[in-house]
Amino acid sequence: MSPAPPIPARIDTFGLTDTGKVRSQNEDQFLLASLDKSLSLQHTSLPDPEALGQFGRASAQLFIVADGVGGVAGGQLASGTAVQALAEYIGRTAGCYYNYDVDVENEFLEQLERAVERAHERVRAFAGKGQGPATTVTMVTLVWPRAYVIHVGDSRGYYLRQGRLRQFTRDQTMGELLVDEGVVTEEQARSSRLDNVLASAVGGDLHPSIGLVDLQYDDSLLLCTDGLTKHVSDDQITEALQQGESAEQICRQLVTAALEDGGTDNVTVVVGRMNPPT
Amino acid sequence: MIQKKVCMVGVSGAGKTSLVRQFVHSKFSEKYHSTVGVKIDRKQVDIDGTEVNLLLWDLEGRDERQTLQASYLRGSAGLIYVVDGTRRETYEQVFELRDVATEAAGAVPSVVAVNKADLADQWRVGEDQLQALDEQGWHRFTTSAKTGEGVEDAFRWLAAATLQGGKA
Repeated sequence: MSPAPPIPARIDTFGLTDTGKVRSQNEDQFLLASLDKSLSLQHTSLPDPEALGQFGRASAQLFIVADGVGGVAGGQLASGTAVQALAEYIGRTAGCYYNYDVDVENEFLEQLERAVERAHERVRAFAGKGQGPATTVTMVTLVWPRAYVIHVGDSRGYYLRQGRLRQFTRDQTMGELLVDEGVVTEEQARSSRLDNVLASAVGGDLHPSIGLVDLQYDDSLLLCTDGLTKHVSDDQITEALQQGESAEQICRQLVTAALEDGGTDNVTVVVGRMNPPT
Repeated sequence: MIQKKVCMVGVSGAGKTSLVRQFVHSKFSEKYHSTVGVKIDRKQVDIDGTEVNLLLWDLEGRDERQTLQASYLRGSAGLIYVVDGTRRETYEQVFELRDVATEAAGAVPSVVAVNKADLADQWRVGEDQLQALDEQGWHRFTTSAKTGEGVEDAFRWLAAATLQGGKA
């Protein structure tokens, strides 16, 4: 028999996006959603109705950020289309699961991957010939305590645990790729602005990275577009996550910090705080 | 198609991610990135006419701040323990890691990859230690994620063992 799922954290979530101080249009998008699969017991002759309790607790949280590229309207269209397609596909097919069987988990991972492929096809449908719009996507589907991560591009995902900030995504940029392959040094990549060119994008060359992290009570999760990390250091992010009183307050503090440092890009922040159950 | 979850286990910096990258993409990078959580890759292999889809779970390496998280090992069909031949402590810790992993995953087939064969002149794991692994029943491969030496053999051997459900 599968073990009963652990009691989920009380998750405090918030998301915030801002056009910034330089761009005329916001091409970022974010989405926060909960997916619930529940059985509310009314009356039964079963001798052990408590065994059904796990169904009542099954739920998942969806966190997505996307940063569109490809011209004024194109980038916005790409990020919006991708986020909508992801939410639709996951809402319709993946949902959440509460069976801890490894085959079920593999199938769930495949569904998450297919969701990104579906978003990619949808964005490509707008592209026509030549270089069309594209978007980054960083998506976490949290089935407590496991956070499944699908990542494309250079938006980022972090979690904070006991004061230690850890980035669980790797930027998929041409700079990173060429440094990895030994073609250029990190310094050359930075000076040639290769770090600003995506090596993987929804709507472009798609190479999704898949991973997971098991979260704990009191952890904080943060997804953001590069409009934040261009201006706000890891130390500032750590401090905001540690000292913030709510997800909303943390988002506002971080976006404000990015704007005060110049706000050269659209900035989007999504935060989830894993409060222990009461 | 048959799917098998295989977990990469070892201390931080032993070469787990590089071995997966070499096996899946035939690439190697000198740049080191520590894995956070688990990175998942897939590779399909043909074992005597049977197609097997290997789901490669590259687990964050153990270090002074990070323990091996048993929950990641649940449902594994096979395990690859990675020892860095140039760091004696990675050999010394593999026995303890095996105890933790066996408790979480059960007695599933496993191999030990003694990695960084391309740096053989810098090895701190000697013949005595390698022999000790053999004597304790480990199925051992000498590998180099850089040159590819032994990498395909280690993964394919494990894939075949998971089909047989045998122990290593």
